[in-house]
Amino acid sequence: MNRVLLGQYWPEESLVHRMDPRVKFLLSLALIVAIFCAATPASLAVAALFVLVFYGFAHIPPLTALRSIGPLLVLVLFTALLNVLFVQGGEVYFQWWIICVSEKGLQSAAFIAVRLLLLLMAVSLLTLTTTTLDITAAFERLLAPFARVGLPAHEMGMILGIALRFLPQFAQELATVYRAQVSRGARFTANPFRGGLQSLTALMVPLFSSAFRHADTLSQAMDARCYHGGTGVTRLHPLRCTWRDAAGTAAVAAMFAAVLVVNAL
Amino acid sequence: MRLEFQNVSYSYAGKEAERTGKKRKKRDRQAEWGNSPDARWALREVSFAVEPGEFLGIAGHTGSGKSTLIQHMNGLLHPTEGRVLADGADLARKEVATEVRARVGLVFQYPESQLFAPTVFEDVAFGPRNFGVPADELEERVRESMERVGLSFDELRDRSPFSLSGGQQRRVAFAGVLACRPEVLVLDEPAAGLDPRSREDFLAMVKQLHAQGTTVVMVSHSMDDLYALATRILVMSEGRVLRLGAPEEVFADGDALTAVGLGLPAPVRFANSLREANFPLPKGLHSEESLASAIADALEGSLHE
Amino acid sequence: MSHASDSQFVNFRDTAFSYDGKTLVFDGLNLSVPQGQFLCLLGGNGSGKSTIAKHINALLVPDAGEVEVFGKNTADPEFTYFIRSNAGLVFQNPDDQLVASLIENDVAFGPENLGIPNPELRQRVTDALAEVGLQGFEEHETFALSGGQKQRVAIAGILAMDPAILILDEATAMLDPRGRKGLMRVVRQLHEEGMTIVMITHFMEEAAQAQRIVVLDKGRIRMDGVPDEVLVRAEELQELSLEVPFACRLSLELRRRGVDVRPCITEEALKEELCALNSKM
Repeated sequence: MNRVLLGQYWPEESLVHRMDPRVKFLLSLALIVAIFCAATPASLAVAALFVLVFYGFAHIPPLTALRSIGPLLVLVLFTALLNVLFVQGGEVYFQWWIICVSEKGLQSAAFIAVRLLLLLMAVSLLTLTTTTLDITAAFERLLAPFARVGLPAHEMGMILGIALRFLPQFAQELATVYRAQVSRGARFTANPFRGGLQSLTALMVPLFSSAFRHADTLSQAMDARCYHGGTGVTRLHPLRCTWRDAAGTAAVAAMFAAVLVVNAL
Repeated sequence: MRLEFQNVSYSYAGKEAERTGKKRKKRDRQAEWGNSPDARWALREVSFAVEPGEFLGIAGHTGSGKSTLIQHMNGLLHPTEGRVLADGADLARKEVATEVRARVGLVFQYPESQLFAPTVFEDVAFGPRNFGVPADELEERVRESMERVGLSFDELRDRSPFSLSGGQQRRVAFAGVLACRPEVLVLDEPAAGLDPRSREDFLAMVKQLHAQGTTVVMVSHSMDDLYALATRILVMSEGRVLRLGAPEEVFADGDALTAVGLGLPAPVRFANSLREANFPLPKGLHSEESLASAIADALEGSLHE
Repeated sequence: MSHASDSQFVNFRDTAFSYDGKTLVFDGLNLSVPQGQFLCLLGGNGSGKSTIAKHINALLVPDAGEVEVFGKNTADPEFTYFIRSNAGLVFQNPDDQLVASLIENDVAFGPENLGIPNPELRQRVTDALAEVGLQGFEEHETFALSGGQKQRVAIAGILAMDPAILILDEATAMLDPRGRKGLMRVVRQLHEEGMTIVMITHFMEEAAQAQRIVVLDKGRIRMDGVPDEVLVRAEELQELSLEVPFACRLSLELRRRGVDVRPCITEEALKEELCALNSKM
């Protein structure tokens, strides 16, 4: 229950951790595009190699990376299975009723599974090496140019940050209310048309009223600590590009180039 | 009903609690000083029974396993090892747990946060309705339980619970559990966060319920409250049973309690410190009144020497 | 900060306030708090103590009369942030006032809003955490903390703004005894270092540690004095649905039995009295 969030932050002092979150944010996007560009098994292998190397620089064991993806692995397996079943061609290895496992099917399944896995790992590399607060800050800064055309960039960042801060708390409160209502005989698995609906409100109403209560005090607490929007605000972790970011950009560029070259071979 | 814990251990991580690796260690380190439920065992080899008709007080500070313990009493949590028996039936069986839930009422900390219905009546009636109390009996149940918690049925039945004061909301939530007519009432810090007046009222109400025959299990940080109310006291520490016995016995060993960061009830504490200063005081001084009389006698005694 | 020439840090002058424009929480309230004082506000529900706390921090401004903090009128928007940063407010619920997921980011929230640049900002975070006994926990998650630790983080977040007054609005109400003791230790230490403290609490053992107690009833000051005078007025306290400290209840019981002790508010003092009597006899 604690680990459902995709790639929770993994505290470490690595090159990748200390990169500017804005750069990391953009590079993650680039990484995703590069993985999509890999069109052949060979170039996908090259992309995989790069991703593993990046994980090495981040000091995160690949197994942990897999664990952080956790429940989404089911999605990967499911997609692979669909490919096995629906892509046909080449030698047939196994056939029963309408199920037919063929060479092409397996190849395609493996390719899609690896690609999907790499994509998830690329996203999780960002969340594993960047605190939610930094992601929020990066998000806010990257949106800042749009503030001129009226986009509330700072506020959007703040909202995202507070949402992330309260997520585990709401999960816990939900668990408590759930137990309290179960103690009063509520059955949440029952038919939603016979009492189940009331049980659902018995969960949601307390959760919402608690959210409103939290919001009310939190806004006062923020006022009390001189919150006044984004102007004239400093940051404990000022975002600064360093040689690490240059190196990171170069590495992703190299990956791009390698993937494209191998594609063409 | 008799609730028996047989060698119960509980781990939030379940049976596969043996996850290793660096991350795990970091989390454990955090668990050591926070109250994250990630620590290896929340309960360890707990054996005791809640006897019918008793008032069992449970003491222990945050993270000692009290909350985990009481959630085993109506089958919300099941032991990782060991068994919990309700009149001999194993609570791990679903049909037993469902049946026992109607007879063991669990009141969580800050229960007002579970109110949800548009009217007080609907909220209080939620439990009995779920447990299959016929519609024509509901009103009587709700009226009775609201009166027991000192709320006027006629005045409040159609009010929104959210429009009431904090203290009244807690009473409504409490009535919602009482309306199920539980044989055993399990309370987690029922007076937490209340002002002194409401605290006293609330504890008097619990005392009354016990006097009328309900078995009560009450978790509290206040040794004074436990001393004043409980017939037996269970002290938890780090998931284990540290002490179990009559209040007199448990509080006789002050050192053991202070060692785990718990205090003594004020009358006991003060009597002890006077004994150190050579006041001959008898045992069993529960209240200010009895303590004051004993001190007066002691002073009188030394006057005649 | 520049201290006002007047030694009164906080001045309520004939203040009136109402939340809904109809029922007055208080009317004609006069209260001043001198620099360096440890003041405790007591009162039942609806006595107006939280409303007073929010006035000192300029979260609320009076409908009539005025509130001056450090000689500045709280109603003047020019001084709002000056007052808020110098009179920090800690709320009751530890889960409602932490803004960030990581401790250091939360502590930095106030000074960031004030525009404090690094390296001073970093220094303030480090110092504030050390002050509340959480040094080295910068990168821990706020969610995993116990209630008492969360409240200490909240205090650190206030201290990082470098305030002269710390206001605690029932900050211990939701904590367990251990958390309460830890928090009170921090508060006492801050007071010894010169901080002016305004504390609201229901717990008499905490109130007994203050220098001055003001008891409120429906927005009016009913008692105002040192703990030794105020906390022994058992009947009045009970009438206001406040608790009477154990030592005081016991000394009153003793007096009723003809034992000639002074009403004491702490067990230590009562023990001393009794020992003196014992040796005299």
